[in-house]
Amino acid sequence: MHSDQPSAADSPLEVADDVDEAALAGAMRLVPLGAAVLAGTMVALLVAGYLLIYILVFIPRGTVG
Amino acid sequence: MSDIHPEMQERWILRTELLWAFGVGVFIAAALGMILFTALKMSINPPSNVERIDPKTLHLSGEFAEHNLGTTVGSDGSVTVRAIATQFMFVPRCLAVPAKRLVTLRFASPDVIHGLLITGTNVNTMVVPGFVAQVHTEFTSSGDLLMPCHEYCGLGHSEMWATVQVLPDDQFKPGPDGRIACAQR
Repeated sequence: MHSDQPSAADSPLEVADDVDEAALAGAMRLVPLGAAVLAGTMVALLVAGYLLIYILVFIPRGTVG
Repeated sequence: MSDIHPEMQERWILRTELLWAFGVGVFIAAALGMILFTALKMSINPPSNVERIDPKTLHLSGEFAEHNLGTTVGSDGSVTVRAIATQFMFVPRCLAVPAKRLVTLRFASPDVIHGLLITGTNVNTMVVPGFVAQVHTEFTSSGDLLMPCHEYCGLGHSEMWATVQVLPDDQFKPGPDGRIACAQR
């Protein structure tokens, strides 16, 4: 490395944060729950959209077969 | 997750997956129940009819000959509409049907695969050469509805559409031969 090239450690953005093991464990406990809540909410919205179209549009259009 | 025992973590994942599977199971059961209920109680089904017809000769004689196209009211009061879907038009271009009565729609194609839907209704079918597409339906209100071809059938596809004229009972008056055409407006 040339001496005029700065080290990555010169930039605060490039330096790893201090990791508090206890805080990390806490976050890792919460993240899967958040993923489950996010996925559940999205699927619930999708199902609600399907049900709304089925009940408010498809059914009132009447008999076919 | 250094403070969580791997066995606990496995159990937690299993619990989440089982919960998710239960939710999906409930939704599938509810969707199937709705489909069965609407099919058995409300007569809403996917149109299904396997009836063969020779596409090369259908316009020459028989049910889809030109003089037989359009709307016919049988002696028992049943209403049948016959039309040909061809590149790039429906024949006839306007179909007269009664409101609030069971109507049988029958379509055939002499050339390529077409499809049709009638706006604002659940009528939606493919018209495949070699088969008669049949749909039973009841139009709930009177008025003019658009019936476009919805299966790309060639360069003129976007020009291929017909009108379905839904007439109230007092205006749906077939002639002595049981036939009725669209009212001129």
